[in-house]
Amino acid sequence: MGMILRFPGACSMLVALLASVAFASVALADDEGDQAARNARWVQVQRAVFADRQVLDGSSVLQLEAPPRALDPALVPLTITLKGNAQPVRGVYVVIDNNPAPLAGHFTFGPAADPRTLKMRVRVDQYTDIHAVAEGADGKLYGVAKFVKASGGCSAPAGAGDPMHNLGEMKLHLMDTFAAGKPMQAQLMIRHPNFNGMQMDQLTRYYTPAHFIRTIDVTYGGGIVLHVDSDISLSTDPVITFGFVPRAKGELKVAVRDSKNESFEHSFTVPAA
Amino acid sequence: MTVRCVEVSSPYRVERVRLLGCGRWLMAVLLLISLPVLSDDVPEPEGYWTGPVNSEVPHTVTGGTVIHTQGLAGLLKAGDTLLIDVSNAPVRPSGLAPEATWLPLPHDSIPGSLWIPGAGQGNVAPDVEQHFTALLAQKSAGNLDQPIVIYCHERCWLSWNAAKRAIRLGYRHVYWLPEGIEGWRTDGFKTEVVQPQEPRGDGIKK
Repeated sequence: MGMILRFPGACSMLVALLASVAFASVALADDEGDQAARNARWVQVQRAVFADRQVLDGSSVLQLEAPPRALDPALVPLTITLKGNAQPVRGVYVVIDNNPAPLAGHFTFGPAADPRTLKMRVRVDQYTDIHAVAEGADGKLYGVAKFVKASGGCSAPAGAGDPMHNLGEMKLHLMDTFAAGKPMQAQLMIRHPNFNGMQMDQLTRYYTPAHFIRTIDVTYGGGIVLHVDSDISLSTDPVITFGFVPRAKGELKVAVRDSKNESFEHSFTVPAA
Repeated sequence: MTVRCVEVSSPYRVERVRLLGCGRWLMAVLLLISLPVLSDDVPEPEGYWTGPVNSEVPHTVTGGTVIHTQGLAGLLKAGDTLLIDVSNAPVRPSGLAPEATWLPLPHDSIPGSLWIPGAGQGNVAPDVEQHFTALLAQKSAGNLDQPIVIYCHERCWLSWNAAKRAIRLGYRHVYWLPEGIEGWRTDGFKTEVVQPQEPRGDGIKK
């Protein structure tokens, strides 16, 4: 849509008008109206994922950012931010209520983590609430939610090219300059189709068997940064942004294991050479 | 550029925009923007559709009748209509951790529907095809004049395929609801949760 900005005057107005018409007409299906049904679903999902543990209102603990309407349901960006003066957290659960496998991931922070910001991209199968639930140091669960309009993310094909190409390859992008003891943000990209078993192969017309990342372990200088238990709702080629605190120059190590028990490991020098 | 250009408020009317002289660049942008809703030109395939299930569908199904939500509501009032939902049923992926939560949403249908997942696949598995054929025969008591309405979702070929399948079985009053359950719900009609007639996996010929 950025192209529109290049058109001057009335034409760009027209384009914007037509764009809104186009988007309005694809916006079928139910609206946000059915809050009661969504709440009932959350009660059910909560029980399935957290058993007897109650999820308290987390609006003073964390914040979840998600697009109200996602352009690509297979790549919905989420940002989870912990509020500054809140208590420390052990980890964060990401729950996509209306996905058939609602728990998209459980992110556990280690002593070398800076848990304040966490980003990822997920699949959304139909209009849904997404919950981010933090587990505080007090052992209690604190949740916040965002409603996202997107559908078809679970059956969307993996995209062009050979999805198995460079399987397990990783890239790390350090988003801050290194200073000993100063928190840094890192963006980790993993080449993996993360097949969820619901995508049809466009050539064979058969469903591609599920093949997805189960765990991701990130350490720095031997100290644990992050452990991720993930599931079929992370996007193809997962991208996860997290924070860590390098006490000195060293190696950031990433170990990934998938549902076929294949494992992939990479080390990244910090600061990058 | 004149105000007249702004009158063209429908993405279906790209041709007119060109006549008004908005230029090729604008054409290109309009086409990009309006692709998701330009469904006029989707032709009916020769046989069953084996392309992407969730994509634009034709406006017709030869041998059957396209019906919309209001028309369907009327037809249902008249009674004796067989409603068939051929939406896919979610199947727990192999390799999902045993302790992982698998909790598909309850399946919403138009009240009174038979849900036959898999019956709309292009390459249908023989057992699912038999199941579909037998259920239609049973519910219509062998009467080929039995009105049958087939649907799944909006932009979903499964119902088109299943409608074609019913037509090929000889049913003379097959109706297809292209808007699917989303259209039904959006127009304010009631739905009810149903269970599949038989859990049959993905219904695709292996």
